Amino acid sequence: MASARRRIPGIAWLLAVLVLFFSAFGTRFASAPNLINIGNQSSILLLLALPMTLIIMTEGLDLSMGAVLGLSGVVLALLLADGHALPMALAAALGVGTLFGLANGVLIVALGMPPFVATLGMLGVAQGIALAMTDGQSVGGIGSALPGIYASRWMGIPFAIVVALLAYATFHFLLYHTRVGTYVFAIGGNREALMLAGVPANRYHVLIYAIGGLMAGAGAFLLTGRMSVGHPTAAVGMEFDAVVAVIVGGTKLERGDGWLPGTVLGVLTVGILKNGLNVMAVPSSLQIASIGMLVIVALLLDSLRERS
Amino acid sequence: MSSFAWRLLGVLLLCVVLTLSSSAFLTVGNLLNVLRQASLIFLIASGLTLVILSAGLDLSIGANLGLSACLAAAVIKATGSIAIGIGAGLGCGMTIGILNGLLITMLRLPPFIATYGMLWMVYGINYWTMAGNTIYGFPAAFREIGSGYLLGMPIPVLLMVLSLIVGSVFTRYTTWGHEIYAIGANAEVARLSGIPVRRRLILVYTLSGAMSGLAGIVYLARLNSAEAGIGEPLLLPAIASVLIGGTSLFGGTGSLGGALIGAVILTLVLNGMNLLTISGNWQPLITGVILLLAAGIDTAARKWNESQA
Amino acid sequence: MKVNFAPLVEMRGISKSFTGVRALDNVSLEANSGEVHILVGQNGAGKSTLIKVLCGAHHPDHGEFLIDGKKVRIHSVADARRLGIAVIFQEFSLVPFLDVAQNIYLGRESRDSRKMHTEAARLLEQLGIPMDTHLLVNDLGVAQQQMIEIAKALSQNARILVMDEPTAALSEHEILRLFERIRRLKQDGIAIIYISHRLKEVFELGDRITVLRDGCVAATLVPSKTSINELVSLMVGREVDATYRRRFCEMPGEIALETRALSAVNGVRDASIQVRSGEIVGLAGLVGAGRTELLRAIFGADRKTEGEILLGGKRLMEGPEHSVASGVGLVPENRKTEGLALIRSVHDNLLVAALPRIFPNHIYRFRKAARVVADLIERLRIATHSPKRLARLLSGGNQQKVVIGKWLNAGSRFLIFDEPTRGIDVGAKAEIFSLLDSLVAQGAAVLMVSSELPEIVAVCDRAYVMRDRTIVGELQRSELTEENILRLAMHHG
Repeated sequence: MASARRRIPGIAWLLAVLVLFFSAFGTRFASAPNLINIGNQSSILLLLALPMTLIIMTEGLDLSMGAVLGLSGVVLALLLADGHALPMALAAALGVGTLFGLANGVLIVALGMPPFVATLGMLGVAQGIALAMTDGQSVGGIGSALPGIYASRWMGIPFAIVVALLAYATFHFLLYHTRVGTYVFAIGGNREALMLAGVPANRYHVLIYAIGGLMAGAGAFLLTGRMSVGHPTAAVGMEFDAVVAVIVGGTKLERGDGWLPGTVLGVLTVGILKNGLNVMAVPSSLQIASIGMLVIVALLLDSLRERS
Repeated sequence: MSSFAWRLLGVLLLCVVLTLSSSAFLTVGNLLNVLRQASLIFLIASGLTLVILSAGLDLSIGANLGLSACLAAAVIKATGSIAIGIGAGLGCGMTIGILNGLLITMLRLPPFIATYGMLWMVYGINYWTMAGNTIYGFPAAFREIGSGYLLGMPIPVLLMVLSLIVGSVFTRYTTWGHEIYAIGANAEVARLSGIPVRRRLILVYTLSGAMSGLAGIVYLARLNSAEAGIGEPLLLPAIASVLIGGTSLFGGTGSLGGALIGAVILTLVLNGMNLLTISGNWQPLITGVILLLAAGIDTAARKWNESQA
Repeated sequence: MKVNFAPLVEMRGISKSFTGVRALDNVSLEANSGEVHILVGQNGAGKSTLIKVLCGAHHPDHGEFLIDGKKVRIHSVADARRLGIAVIFQEFSLVPFLDVAQNIYLGRESRDSRKMHTEAARLLEQLGIPMDTHLLVNDLGVAQQQMIEIAKALSQNARILVMDEPTAALSEHEILRLFERIRRLKQDGIAIIYISHRLKEVFELGDRITVLRDGCVAATLVPSKTSINELVSLMVGREVDATYRRRFCEMPGEIALETRALSAVNGVRDASIQVRSGEIVGLAGLVGAGRTELLRAIFGADRKTEGEILLGGKRLMEGPEHSVASGVGLVPENRKTEGLALIRSVHDNLLVAALPRIFPNHIYRFRKAARVVADLIERLRIATHSPKRLARLLSGGNQQKVVIGKWLNAGSRFLIFDEPTRGIDVGAKAEIFSLLDSLVAQGAAVLMVSSELPEIVAVCDRAYVMRDRTIVGELQRSELTEENILRLAMHHG
């Protein structure tokens, strides 16, 4: 099965090294509360990184996820502040996200626009709408229902992590045990073969981007719950972390070579790196720089490995 | 009528519309303001045009601008010398450009990934080194670069015209310029025709970085202050300007003159929004929509051309 | 071999033309159930076109199809598949990171994954090549991938299997195993149409042989009643185009280019050739023999791994940049993707390789550029009403002239041509050859790959023949005949 069987990848070693490194620097890192913190932070990133894996496998990219998440969060918060019920507000947030995802898919698949410029443009659109709706301010007064859910625990596991686990299970099933997943591999690996087999590849290709938008909406649910406000630029740059997580996790940029478990490792790596640097009181800006470094190092190692 | 002429017509049309919509538009002050704004965008967009002509991309230009400006600011303050500060800013811009070029040619990273990673790295370094501070208050001589006038024109506008001239000479009257067009049109044919593709690509990214550095210095002189991230909002307008100006994302066609017209068109639209007191919050949206429109036309035109071959 | 009353599949009177070129002319071919019918012919004889017509990828201008004696319509690939026709091309239609079963059932996935795998395993078992269906296709060798393609065809209940040069990428051992499979398929009543260049296979495996020549059927024979010589002579014999002639080179000059034991990353092995100034030397061989690869290795387009390239006696430094500067020019086979930048003008394309030479101080002067371009357009008689015309709007012949012009502009004295007259009408062909003629008369040297044997015989002073990516022979002027070339180019013995 096109799946989880691989030799222990480089990323796992990197992760182990990071964990050892940060643990050695003080007891705070390896403490239970801190690890749970890492889990919570990483959960939202995982929600974005999962569809990003599918997108990158099909030789695409979605730079708009962070902005779409911000907009969905704003919509969610506004509806809650206005007194609407949580389920309805959630549906709206997910709807907004999916709409943007569909727009991306149509531009890229139907029109043939290069993914980066299509999603860059949509980033502007989403960001713009969010800023216009909120005048750049946070949207508060969302009541206690959502933050309450976020703070809840399910059999001792924080809500965010539960959501992340469910999301992973869903995507894993989707990619490795359904027809849609097979077609994702095919769109990236040999699109002509898929079309010769009579499958309408375009439809599934657009679907991949729509799912990305949907997950951005889901991420907004968690983020707004955590922050207790909706903010238009709250998730700026998160799509970059997602791209890093996917690439560092071993998914290649071409030929439909994707590895979902690796994305989880990648997300944890980014999360641990950020958290560890935080614990060491490294300023957040330098953290961003290190993550940028990380992707370059990962790609460099990758290409060296392939050369030998 | 050539596409350049169409765009000039678009500029005229916009001016007519704006004159009719707001009495504040057709004043010397406002028009100079528009040109000044456009010049800043054009300075960055000029380097970007070269990169896109080669069928590449540089997403790091905004971050580059910010870091170069902050570095120049810090050096001016530290050494008291404007010249050294300017040198530092330009040097910073060029270095980032060279790094981009190396990542793309040596590591074979796709340009959007390489420059996107660079974007975040540079932002990170920028935010970290500035530590939330603002550097302000520069010598009057330096501020002239941003706010001063020469021959009745704002200096930034003159710099824009100068860049246009130098850039156009480069692309049209040097062999290097023609080689870049060749690489953008078909990199493999260019390689098989003996053009040293790698060296030329490193050149364009270096130039793009240098122009970002220059833009950073002008911006610094205009704002009279530097803080981390000042270049952030300029990436989208820069790309939009290049595309509106007729340079194709697929490489091989386009011009600097077009990018200038594109910058002017975009600035007119944003200026119009200002005059009609539409909130600045709408700007990213408008810019995003314009970008998508320009890219959409570019893609559609390319597809149509290909089907005719 | 089971023989039914009517052939399993029959193509009658198939004709097909592409923009004025007649690819197939009244071709009829049939195959019985359980028969291996082998299709042979030179490059360009029409074999590929015929099977593309059969599988529904091309629509014939005339002709009809019959399955089990009944007329059928084939308008699309889906039609052909429904009728039980499956084609395995040389580039496989497999998805690298899906497993064997998923590839076999691509587009027809069943809900029950286990059942799919069991079925796939059974198919492969039946073919005689059991394998773990959970393996990723990317991790398998070419021979196994081929088996998967066959299994894929069988899973669609193909009764007619068409294979295009299936043994091209296989080792001797794998070829034997393939033949065993094919014999098994015969026993199951499958009809197999098989394109091959290897005469050994033709006699070992074929029940009948059809020889195509210039789009027509030259003969359909039974192996036991024919011989290699007869096959070869049936394959050649196209009319030599009388509109071009050459004075052959009486006294070649110095050695312009020499390779010694050249090997490259693209697969060329141990190639040693010489070309003297004043000569047009041909490079012949069948598709896949490595001719294009050798040209690219000489030009520096692909990296060499061993051996030497000497230009005018001096070692040539690696890379297209040095080759061009030293006066070597490559006119590639795919002129639209590797010879010209289609979106640029004739003017720009003519100058692209000559910029350092014409403008040594790097300053581009339009007037000089325009003059040089105008001269060239006139000299080569490139038909365009303006040098600003985009290259993609020119005819094939004129596009080729632009590519040649590009090299003349760059001062090339050693020209490498890969299929110089492909896709070019007769009139332009003559022009191009007379151009080559005048170039070498002035001391240039030309190395030319061509799949049209008459061309090589009519134009070249000498020819090397390649097979399996190395040089297997050299033919001097007096020995240069189509038969000799083919004999060297094909596997036999």
